Amino acid sequence: MTAESNESKSRYLQYLELVLGPLEDKKRWRQYKARVKGLPENYRIAVEALERYLMHFGPADGAGAMAMYEDLADLFEQSAADGIPIRAVFGDDPIEFVETFMANYPLGQYRRRERDRFTSAVERAAGEDRTK
Amino acid sequence: MGKLVTEMLKGTLEGIVLAILAVRPAYGYEITAWLRDQGFSDIAEGTIYALLVRVEQRGLVDVEKVPSEKGPPRKVYSLNAQGREYLEEFWRTWSFLAERIEQLRKGGPQS
Repeated sequence: MTAESNESKSRYLQYLELVLGPLEDKKRWRQYKARVKGLPENYRIAVEALERYLMHFGPADGAGAMAMYEDLADLFEQSAADGIPIRAVFGDDPIEFVETFMANYPLGQYRRRERDRFTSAVERAAGEDRTK
Repeated sequence: MGKLVTEMLKGTLEGIVLAILAVRPAYGYEITAWLRDQGFSDIAEGTIYALLVRVEQRGLVDVEKVPSEKGPPRKVYSLNAQGREYLEEFWRTWSFLAERIEQLRKGGPQS
């Protein structure tokens, strides 16, 4: 993930990553999936449901997204170990939980682009556009 | 109580959690358990966790990983200097808000 590790990569690896995306991310993703697999069944089902939601509405790219999934694994491993019931983890409103959780991480490209577009549209409408 | 208290807590929960951590370091589950004991029975574990992730990212708390007998190591959070500053700001804001709302209750917005 660091510049240093990039420099030490062989040409072949660099080429592979160009085609496949960063291999560190893939490794981290596999490790995360293994952690989810190790959870008791109902916790695993809950995490996979969250994962589906995050795939649609969360950040989709980069290290920020990976950190998000790893934090999620932390929460559910801890909750399973402490014997906290699923409902006590999510509360009454699972959407509220996942949205609050998601807000901690960088926006995905799509959301960021649309927010920028919206913000500058309001700026223009308010007559604040200084680029023209 | 119930729904309304949850709504009203939203903006203040961060300050409440930092105030708890100002007394002594704690991990997520301890904080939720303490809040439940104090009558905030509807607070979800996940809500506190998301909040802890946020205050950690903003550099208001220090985190130490402590091994536990059962399960993975626990992240123990403690308030740092930046967090203390933020907590003071929170209490100032809270006093302002509480004062104004109390004024409203006593009959109108005259100052």
